[in-house]
Amino acid sequence: MNVKTVPMNRKLWTPWFTFGVCVIAAGLLVTLFRLIRGLGAVTNLSDGFPWGIWIAFDVVAGIALAAGGFTTAALVYVFNRGKYSPLVRPAVLTAMLGYLIATFSITMDVGRWWQVYNPALPANWQGNSPLFEVSLCVMTYSTILVLEFLPGVLEKWQQTGFLKSAAAKVSPILNRVLFFLIILGVVVSTLHQSSLGSVALVAAYRIHPLWWSPWLPLMFLVSAIAVGFPVVIVESWISARAFKHRVDVGLLSDLAKITPWILGFYILLKAYALMSAGKVGLLFGSWWGVVWIVENLLFAVIPFVMLLRPAVRGSLKGLLTASIMMIVGIVLNRLDTYILTYTPRPGFNYFPSVGELIITGMMVSLLFVGYKVLANTFPVLPSAVPAQGGK
Amino acid sequence: MPDRRGFLKAAALAAGGGYLAAGTARAEERPGARGDQYAMLNDCTRCVGCRACQTACKRSHDLEKSGADPLHETPTDLNARNLTLIELYKESDTKWSFVKKQCMHCGDASCVSVCIAAAFRKREDGVVDYDPGKCIGCRYCQYACPFNVPTFEYERAAPVIRKCDFCKDIRLAKGEQPWCADVCPVGAIKFGKRSALLREAHARIDGEPNRYASYVYGEKELGGTSVLYLAPKEMGFEKFGFPAYDEATPFHLQEDIQHGIFKYWAPPVALYAGLALIAYSSGRRPHAPADDSKEGA
Repeated sequence: MNVKTVPMNRKLWTPWFTFGVCVIAAGLLVTLFRLIRGLGAVTNLSDGFPWGIWIAFDVVAGIALAAGGFTTAALVYVFNRGKYSPLVRPAVLTAMLGYLIATFSITMDVGRWWQVYNPALPANWQGNSPLFEVSLCVMTYSTILVLEFLPGVLEKWQQTGFLKSAAAKVSPILNRVLFFLIILGVVVSTLHQSSLGSVALVAAYRIHPLWWSPWLPLMFLVSAIAVGFPVVIVESWISARAFKHRVDVGLLSDLAKITPWILGFYILLKAYALMSAGKVGLLFGSWWGVVWIVENLLFAVIPFVMLLRPAVRGSLKGLLTASIMMIVGIVLNRLDTYILTYTPRPGFNYFPSVGELIITGMMVSLLFVGYKVLANTFPVLPSAVPAQGGK
Repeated sequence: MPDRRGFLKAAALAAGGGYLAAGTARAEERPGARGDQYAMLNDCTRCVGCRACQTACKRSHDLEKSGADPLHETPTDLNARNLTLIELYKESDTKWSFVKKQCMHCGDASCVSVCIAAAFRKREDGVVDYDPGKCIGCRYCQYACPFNVPTFEYERAAPVIRKCDFCKDIRLAKGEQPWCADVCPVGAIKFGKRSALLREAHARIDGEPNRYASYVYGEKELGGTSVLYLAPKEMGFEKFGFPAYDEATPFHLQEDIQHGIFKYWAPPVALYAGLALIAYSSGRRPHAPADDSKEGA
C-alpha cells in the first residue's frame, strides 16, 4: 500500500520535449490570432458545422481519455486495492492535465470566452441543458483533480522553499478532506461522462442512426470507464520510456484483468441498442456500416478477446496493443458521433483548418510537456521502479 | 471479486436510474406555442419575391452589407448579416414558389432547452429572445436547432448569435408589427396573435382549396411554432426545407434524462453514499493519497 514517490529530476530538453515546446509556441501564436480576429479567421467552423475538432477531439475525446483518473482513484481508494497505489499519482496527473487542457480548449472554442464562467452563476443555471451539467462538473472535477494532485506538491514544498510552513499547515487539512473529495470526483465523473453523450441526443435528426441512440449517455459512460485502465497502461509505458525506468508488467497485467468485464457490458449494450431499435440492417450496404464495425472491433471486440487471454495480458506488447486499439477506437467513436456522421445544414461541410490542427497539436503537446515537467519536479512516480532510482 | 462488480453496478445504476425516472415521469408540462402569443403567417402563394422584407430587416437591424457589390447583395442562406431570407424553390418553369426563412419562434424551442447559460428564453408574448449578456458563444443552439436558424458571427472577435427577434425592441415595444410584415406589398406576411392567424390560415385553405396545400406548417410541428406557413398546392413543405417533424422534439429525451438523474438529487447522492459504503467496508480504513506516501517515507 505504501509507495515512495520521488521527483524524477531527469534532463528536460530532449528532442521530443523541445519539439513539444515548439508546437505549444506555435499554438499560442494561433491562439492569440484567434482571440484578436475571431473564430472564423482561424477555423473552418461555420453556421452549418458549429462544432469541430476542438470540441469533438480536444474536449469530448480528451475527457473520455482522462477517465484513467477517476477509475484508478476509485479502484484504490473506494475498492481499497492498495497494490495499485503506485499508479494513482501518475493517473491523477494525466487526468488533471487532461481536464485543464479540455477547459482551455472549451475557453478558446466558445465565441464569448471572457464570460465563459456564466453558466456557473446561479442566475443563469439551466437544469434542462446537459451541457450546463457538463460545464459545472468539469469545473468541479478539474478543481478536485488539482486538489488530488496537491499532496505531492505539498510534500516537496514541505522540504524546501519559502512555502515550507504554509505547506505544513495545509497538508493535514487536505489529507482529512481528500477522501471525501475523491469520492465526489468519482460521482461527478460518472455524471458528466454520461452527459457528454446526452449532449448529442438533441441531434437525433443529424447524427447517423448507427451512432444516435437513446442509450448514448450510458454508452459514453461505460466506454469512458472501460478506457480508463488502458490509458493508465499506455501512460505507464510512455513515462517509463521518458524517464528510463522499468514497467511493472505484473501490476498492469492485473489491472487489465478488469477491463474485459466492462468491455463485455459495453458490447452487450451496443448490441442491445442496435437490435432493439431495429437498426442491424444499417450495418450492411453502406460505408457507415463498415466504419461502425471497425470502430467497435477496435474499441471493444478485439481488446475484449485479447485481454481475456492471460498470455496477452502477461506481455507488455499484448497489453499495449489492446490498450492502444481501445484508445484509437474511443477517439474514433467520439469523432463519429460528433463530427463524421453529423449531417450539417444544407450546403456546408467541414474539414479542420491548419489553425485548428495546430491548436489541437498544442493541446496534445501540453499533456506530454506538462507531464514531464511535473513528474520531474514533484514526487509522482514511484522510486522503487526505476533501474537506478531518482537522483 | 464482488467489489468490482459493485462498482459497475453502482455506475450502471446511476445512469440506469436516470432512464427509469425519465421513463416514468415527464418532468414538466410542455405547453408549446400558445394561441395568445404573437405569431407570423407567411403565405408562400402570395409572395412575389421582391425581397422588401429582407431589405427592411437589414436596414432596421443595422446589418452589414457584404459581397463584391454590396448594393446588389443576394444572400443565399441565413447568416449573421441576413436574419430573414426569401428563397426560391423551382421545380420547373411553371412550378416554383418563394418561401421566407427566419426564426420559427418555436413554442417548445430547442435553443431555449439546450442553452448552457439560459441566454435563450420564450417570452410571454411569444418571442424567442436571446441575451448576449448571458451567452458564452458555445453554439449548442446551432447544433440543436431543427430549423437551422441561429447564426453566429464567426468573423468577429466579440461575436454574438444572430437570429430574427420579431423586431421586439424596435417595433413590438411600440405596439407596432415587425418591419417585414409592415413593408410586404402583397400581404404575404401577416403578423398577429397565433390563434387568429391559425383561423385565418385554415380559412384561406378552405376558401381556395385549389390554390393551397391543405396543411398549415408550424401548427403542430415540434410542439407548434409561432411562424406558420401556407404553401401552394402540390408543393410539399419538405422541398422548402421544412421536414415532417413529430409533435415531440428530440430535446425532450435529454431533458427527461437530466431531470431523472437529478430527481431530488437522489441518484448522485445515492451513488456517493454507495461508494463511501464500499470504501469503508472493503478496506480496513480509507487511505488518502498523502497518507500513503508519508507512511512510506
